[in-house]
Amino acid sequence: MNDNRLVFTWRAMLLAFLLPLVLVWAFDLTLGGSIGAGVDSLPRFGNAILTSYILGSLILLGNLFFYADSRQRPLAPLFGMFAAAAIGVLVTVMLLNQGDLLMEDNGSIRAQILYNVVHMFVSGGAILLSLALGLGFTFATITAQKARRTVFEEE
Amino acid sequence: MEPMTQAALWFWLPAALVPFGAWISLSSKTTSTTTFGRAVALLGIVGIVSSPWTVPDSPSSAAGHLLGFLLGPAALLLAGIYLVAFSGNVPVGRLPKSDRRLGVMSFIIGFVWFVGMHWWNLTPALNGEVNRYWLVFWPTFLLLLTCLLSGSALSLRMIGDRRATESNVMWFASAFVFLLIALAMTIDGRAVDAETFRYHLWLAGADLLGTAVGLSIAILVFGFIIFLHERALPEPDSIEPPTEEEFEQVSAIVAANIGGGGEDE
Repeated sequence: MNDNRLVFTWRAMLLAFLLPLVLVWAFDLTLGGSIGAGVDSLPRFGNAILTSYILGSLILLGNLFFYADSRQRPLAPLFGMFAAAAIGVLVTVMLLNQGDLLMEDNGSIRAQILYNVVHMFVSGGAILLSLALGLGFTFATITAQKARRTVFEEE
Repeated sequence: MEPMTQAALWFWLPAALVPFGAWISLSSKTTSTTTFGRAVALLGIVGIVSSPWTVPDSPSSAAGHLLGFLLGPAALLLAGIYLVAFSGNVPVGRLPKSDRRLGVMSFIIGFVWFVGMHWWNLTPALNGEVNRYWLVFWPTFLLLLTCLLSGSALSLRMIGDRRATESNVMWFASAFVFLLIALAMTIDGRAVDAETFRYHLWLAGADLLGTAVGLSIAILVFGFIIFLHERALPEPDSIEPPTEEEFEQVSAIVAANIGGGGEDE
């Protein structure tokens, strides 16, 4: 597959992935065009970025222990990743302190942070379940077909 | 005991046990440690599911309540898909054909259960109100599932070889999930009305996009840190080239092991 064809394939696959989202948007517009949550989507988007960044950094920090096994246990990358996660926490606290910028229906910064973490567990569970079902359904569809026989051309 | 301490002990400690147990299980090299890790993770899940009883006043326990509601239908869906997939044409580990029917039944029951949780009276409710995390889970799950199935359908057609039939099945599945979303956007459920669903659907979209961006940044930072560390490492010491004696030894070993078609074959 040449480079142009490969780029086209990736773009088409990305568009196919986003197609239902666009259809949902169009459908919502025909129902009244409220775009649902409106301004409430922005704090959710910001909180999702920060929380997934911090939790992702912590998971990758754990992953660095395995990396360290094959590199005579260097401390620098561990410290670097820990610092990256800590910066995420600091930025979160700083932005949550800026009034209503990232605050949702929670009374305090601590409550918002705890809500963000629990929210990420729940949406992470939804993401994992849909990934498992998406992959499993694809695999099940492939294995449900009759066995193929590969025909080789005569040389 | 302080409410915060109670929540830490009965919700956050079990929540921490799940990844900790998974980490032990994945990183261990012996069977006993792997079993121990799985037991720790299971203990954590039991602790989270029990949190509505152990810490009923904590808002976080709503997540434990939801997990308890989701375990049944999610297990049925996953077990169903597993049975259907591995009772088909797989080269190894094929299950008996009868497992296929069981898998289809299991999948259908799991899906109907989920649908019943939106439109019927199976909706997870806590203290007389719909569990706030159910309104996070359900739209996120449906939205991502329809997108994944659509992406998979086109991937099968463009990358796969003669996979048009499978691709059509995936388009149909994606359209079916999209239809569910459209119905939820227009028809009220017993506990969740259409307007509430539409509101939370867009929050789910923002959530998915934000999660993808945040995880991508974390992975980029991780790669950058590894790159900086590897670049700072000194060049490895060069070793002396092989001596004549070593070359002769290697030649002897190679000569003894090439040629094939020996008398014993």
